[in-house]
Amino acid sequence: MECRAENAEKESELLKEQLKELKKQLNEYLHQKSEAEKKSLSFTPQEATSSEASILVKNLQEELRNYESEVREARKLKSSHENIELLKEKLLEEKGRRERAESELLKLPEIQLSKEKLEDELSSWKLMIKDIPGVSCSDDIPVKFASLQKEVIESMMKVGEANARLKQIEVALDAAELGKQNAETEAALTKEKSEVSKSEVKRIELMLSLVTEERDQLRNVVNELKKQKNAEAGDEMAKGTLVQELESSLVKKDCCIKELESSLSEQKEINNRQHNELKLLNERLNNEARRIKSLERESDRLRSEISLLESKLGHGDFSTANTKVLRMVNTLAVDNEAKQTIEALRTELQKTKEKLEAVEELKRQSADAGKSVDSYISGKIVQYKEQIATLEKREERYKTVFADRISVFRRACCELFGYKIVMDEHQRSNGIPVTRFTLQSIYAQSDDEKLEFEYESGNTNIVANDYTLQPEISHQVEIFIRKLNSIPAFTANLTVESFNRRTIS
Amino acid sequence: MASRTVAKDIITLRGSAAIVSEFFGYAANSILYNRGVYPEESFAKVKKYGLPMLLTQDEGVKSFIANLTAQLSEWLEAGQLQRVVLVIMSKATNEVLERWNFSIETDSEVVEKGVSKEKSDKEIMREIQAIMRQIASSITYLPCLDEPCVFDVLAYTDKDVAVPFTWIESDPKLIANPQMVKLHSFDTKIHKVDTLVSYKNDEWDEQ
Repeated sequence: MECRAENAEKESELLKEQLKELKKQLNEYLHQKSEAEKKSLSFTPQEATSSEASILVKNLQEELRNYESEVREARKLKSSHENIELLKEKLLEEKGRRERAESELLKLPEIQLSKEKLEDELSSWKLMIKDIPGVSCSDDIPVKFASLQKEVIESMMKVGEANARLKQIEVALDAAELGKQNAETEAALTKEKSEVSKSEVKRIELMLSLVTEERDQLRNVVNELKKQKNAEAGDEMAKGTLVQELESSLVKKDCCIKELESSLSEQKEINNRQHNELKLLNERLNNEARRIKSLERESDRLRSEISLLESKLGHGDFSTANTKVLRMVNTLAVDNEAKQTIEALRTELQKTKEKLEAVEELKRQSADAGKSVDSYISGKIVQYKEQIATLEKREERYKTVFADRISVFRRACCELFGYKIVMDEHQRSNGIPVTRFTLQSIYAQSDDEKLEFEYESGNTNIVANDYTLQPEISHQVEIFIRKLNSIPAFTANLTVESFNRRTIS
Repeated sequence: MASRTVAKDIITLRGSAAIVSEFFGYAANSILYNRGVYPEESFAKVKKYGLPMLLTQDEGVKSFIANLTAQLSEWLEAGQLQRVVLVIMSKATNEVLERWNFSIETDSEVVEKGVSKEKSDKEIMREIQAIMRQIASSITYLPCLDEPCVFDVLAYTDKDVAVPFTWIESDPKLIANPQMVKLHSFDTKIHKVDTLVSYKNDEWDEQ
């Protein structure tokens, strides 16, 4: 752009100089014209008589026309000069635009950086999407969100249920605790009872031992008395009654002992029963304690679940079933930006107005600016036409050179390989173009001795004709081309054969 | 201001709604000041809740908050407001950086039957004062907002609420994996307001 501008400036300088010269010439010519007119006027009276004068007038008129055309050209130059001024202004504008573009270009790395950052972010989002189970693309996310919201609602419902269950469990726990307390008091009572029974048993046992002792003593006494009876046979009758009494008392004592023993066994039975009862109660107590523990565990779990859901709620989650989120339209930031934008637009408007005024001023100064632009364009067209003509000439020259070179090449081929080669394009019946090479040996004995080949996408095939169908040739075609797959061997062999035939003949 | 019945400790639905919506106005101002969403010099000091409070002098923000509290009061009186959220976002990226969450529980009996409740004005003011102190001190633990920010107000309402002219339905503008700090709550016996601030986890990037 800058280069163009500089060229244009130079051109304008040149044109200015030319303009000056032309103006000078114009003045001279005008001067000469006026003189010539004067002369012609002075010659007019003799016109009828002098044919030389009329020739002179004609010449002068022609000269005048020439001058006029030159004046027109000068005017054109002037307009082109104005046009250059316009172009200069345009150049300045373009320069401004270039500067702006350069400043924008400076921002480019920042933008690229942010672009990269965004791309990174995007890829991290994509990775995250991959990490989310059941989500393969961003479209799945709303679905996933919906399902998650559903899940939240369900879990809320579950929490409600869990809470209710917790309450129930708590109530059951209270009841169990009450039962446990009752059982404990009952157990204490039973223990007390068993203690009492034990002490009673002990007492009875003591009594029993006492009675047994007494009985033994009495037996001893009886034995002693019996001994005495033997010794004192005389006193037997009196003491017999005493013995009987003692024996009866002994029997009574025995009865008493038996009674005590039976009561003891009864007490023992009661004691055993109470023991069993106690064991049962203890077992129940243990069971209740276990239940309490498990209930406590469940209540802890439910509490943690509740706290988790509460934190979710605190975070801002909500159930779409009974809540909607509204946002108050906030135009504060936008207003602020709008103010700034309006301010910027105002300044720009002011600038544009100024520019417009300048342009109008310019327009007034050069009323025929439009015309000058047209002439500029037509000048360009002429320039391009000239260029085209040059290029066409060059193309012609290349063509000639190419024809020369290719004929040399062909001749060389012919000399070196012994064949004249003619290349032409054919179209098959199906419309596919194919290149055909016709080879004629320089040792051929008739014009019919021609070999034809078709060349198509890298493959060369021999085309059967009258010559190649001759048994001798077709035999060679079979050997060299079909079997040994070598066209050069075939042509070389044929060359040698033709050469031999020629020289022998 | 809150309108009261003759007895000082009796509080009506209307009065409670007025107290709560006024609280939101002051809380929003305090958050915008303390979090530096608007420049310090655009705020002026007034005395409220026994504390020096800052109120914005920016006409735009002022009228925004006035319209907000008026609408919130209306919803509070109808018992339709579940939650108010003040969202602070990055101006450049619109990323949500903080959510000031005020959950509201309304006594449905009061709304349905129009009964009044009893709670001293002083007690309510004391509770609000505690929250305001906590908002002011939040700068000690909240991450620094070192970029220009903008704010938005979200209202979680009942499903059947008609959307007012200046409001639109919105997404909840949640923060992924946020840090949460629960602040004090206050209760007018009709409206119970729980305050919680959740903010973008600074360590999120390192994880």
